Amino acid sequence: MRSSVPWLRPVVALVIGGFFFVPLYLGIINTFKDPEQIRTNPLSFPEPLTFKNITTLLSRPDNLYWASLTNSILVTGLSIVVLTVLSATLGHYLARTASRWGRALMVLLLCGLMIPPQVILAPITFVLRAVGLMSTLPGLVLFNVGYYVPFGVFVFTGFMRSVPRELEEAAAIDGATRGQIFWRIVFPLLRPATASVLIFLGVWIWNDFIDPLIILGPSQGTTITTGIFRSVGVWRTDYGTIFSLMFMGTIPVLIFYLFLQKHFVKGLTGGATKG
Amino acid sequence: MLSDVAARPRKRPVVKRSRRQRRSARVWPRVWHFLSFGAPGVLIYVCFVLVPILVSFGYSLTNYNPFRVNTRFVGLQNYKTMLSDDAFLTSLRITTILTLIVVIVPNVVGLGIAVLLDRRGWFYNALRSVFFTPMVLSSVVISVLWRRMLQDDGPINDFLRAVGVHDPPGWLSDPDIAIYSIALILCWQMLGFCVVIYLAGLAGVPKELMEAAEIDGATPIRRFRQVTWPLLAPALTVNTVVLLISAFKIFDHIQVITQGGPGTGSTATIAFLSIQTAFVDNHQGYASAEAIVMLVTIAVLTTISLAVLRRREVNL
Repeated sequence: MRSSVPWLRPVVALVIGGFFFVPLYLGIINTFKDPEQIRTNPLSFPEPLTFKNITTLLSRPDNLYWASLTNSILVTGLSIVVLTVLSATLGHYLARTASRWGRALMVLLLCGLMIPPQVILAPITFVLRAVGLMSTLPGLVLFNVGYYVPFGVFVFTGFMRSVPRELEEAAAIDGATRGQIFWRIVFPLLRPATASVLIFLGVWIWNDFIDPLIILGPSQGTTITTGIFRSVGVWRTDYGTIFSLMFMGTIPVLIFYLFLQKHFVKGLTGGATKG
Repeated sequence: MLSDVAARPRKRPVVKRSRRQRRSARVWPRVWHFLSFGAPGVLIYVCFVLVPILVSFGYSLTNYNPFRVNTRFVGLQNYKTMLSDDAFLTSLRITTILTLIVVIVPNVVGLGIAVLLDRRGWFYNALRSVFFTPMVLSSVVISVLWRRMLQDDGPINDFLRAVGVHDPPGWLSDPDIAIYSIALILCWQMLGFCVVIYLAGLAGVPKELMEAAEIDGATPIRRFRQVTWPLLAPALTVNTVVLLISAFKIFDHIQVITQGGPGTGSTATIAFLSIQTAFVDNHQGYASAEAIVMLVTIAVLTTISLAVLRRREVNL
C-alpha cells in the first residue's frame, strides 16, 4: 500500500510502542537504582548507576535467589523433559489410531486444555498428601505433567499428520521395532513441534504461580514467582530486592526463549522443505 | 548355503487358528502400542486431572472441611446457597466485566497494531519484540510492575498531577475503578499474543488477491474489510477463545495486587474467590461447588464461541 505520508506509519508505531514499553522500562531501570530513588522517582534514569541491588540479592544469607532459581530450574526442566517424552509418544499413538476409542481419548484430552487449576487443586493436595508428595518438587512436577499433557498432545498430534506413514512402514519392513522407529525416525522429524512444546511449556511452567504457591507451600522454599510474591508481602518497601529478583528471575527464561526461538524458526522452515 | 536358502522358498507354516485367536493376534499389537506409547501420559492425566475433577464434584455435594470431622452429604445445598451468596454473585459480575473487556480490547487493539507492524525491516522487528515481551514475563512480575505504575503516588498519577489534574483517580485504591485497572493490565499482557496471531494471519493473505482488489479500484479500507478481514477469521477464533479462557481464570494478578479488595470483594474474581474459600476459609465443599460452576461456565462459553466463530470461517 502506498501512502501519501510515508513517515506516518513508523511514527505512530513508535509512539504506541513507546507507551507500551513504559512498564518494561520501569522494571529494567529500577533494578540498577538506589532503593531510595526507586521509591521517590521510579521513572528517572539511575543516577548513579548501581549494581548494589543485584549483588545484595545474590549474597543474601537466606539464599532467596539461589534457592528459588534452583527450584524453578528443577521443576521446569524435569516437567518439560517428561512432558515432551510422554506427549510425543501419546501424540504418536493417537495420530496412528483411527478407532473410535482413539478419538474419544483425544476429545477427553482436549477438554483438559480449558480446565482451570482451581477445580483440581483441592483434591490434588489430598492425593499428594496421601502418597507423601505434598510440598515436594516431585509432587509439583507430577501435577505439571498431568495438567499440561493435553497441550503437548495437541501440538504433537497435529504435527504427526505431516509425517508420512510410509516412512514408518518402510522401517518396520526393515525390521525396526516400534520404539526404534519412533525415537530414531519419527521423533527427529517432529523437531519443530518439540521446540514449540518446549518453548510454550517452559515459559508457562517457569511463570506458574498458583500451582507452586499451593502445592509447594511455604515450608519447601519458593520458586522464582512465589519468591517474588513473598518478598512483596514481607518487605513491602524493599524495592531493591523485589526489582532485582524480578530482573534476575526473568533473565533465564528470556535467554531460554530467545535461544529456542531461533531453533523454532529454523525447524519450521526445515520441516517445510523436508515434508 | 545362500543358494540353498534361495532355492527353497521358505514356507510359512499354515496353522489353523480359531476366530478368537485371529482377533487377538490383531488386537495385541494395538494394545501393546497403547501400553507403551499412550498409557503413561494417559495415566498421569487421569490421576491428576480427571479423577480430581470427579472428586471435586463429589466434594461439592458435601460440607467437607479438612479441619472438621463431621463431613456429610448435603446434596445440592451448596449450589442453592450460591444463588443467594452475595460474595459469589459479586464475583460472577466482576468476572463477567473483566472477561468482556479482555476479550474485546486486545482483539481490537491487537489487530490495529498487527496491521501497523505488518512491514519488514529491523525497525518493525524491534517494535514487535517490544509487544511480544510480556508473553514471556510471569503474571507476578507484570503485576508488581503495574502495581508500582498505578499506585496513588505512582508515575501515572505523578504525570497527571504535573499536567494539572488535582485529584487523580485511585487506580487501585478506589473500589469502583480497581477492577478496570486490573482489566487494563490484562489487556497489556495479552496484547502481544493477539498481535502474533494476527501477524501470522496477515502473512497468509495472498498478495495477488490484494493486487486484484487494488486494480479493481477498491480503497484501502474496502480492501481490508472485504479481503483481509474475512481471511483473518481463523486468527479471530484463536484469539477470542484463548482470551476467553485466560480471562475467566484470572487469579495471579488479584492475589498479587489487590487480594480481592479494595473494600469487600471489589476485585474478587470467581477464580480468586474459590481459592480463597478452599484454602483460607477451608470450606472445601463449598469451594468445590464454586469451582465446578466456573468449569461448566468456561466449557459452555468456549463451546458456544467456537461454534459461532467456526461457522464464520466455513462460510467464506
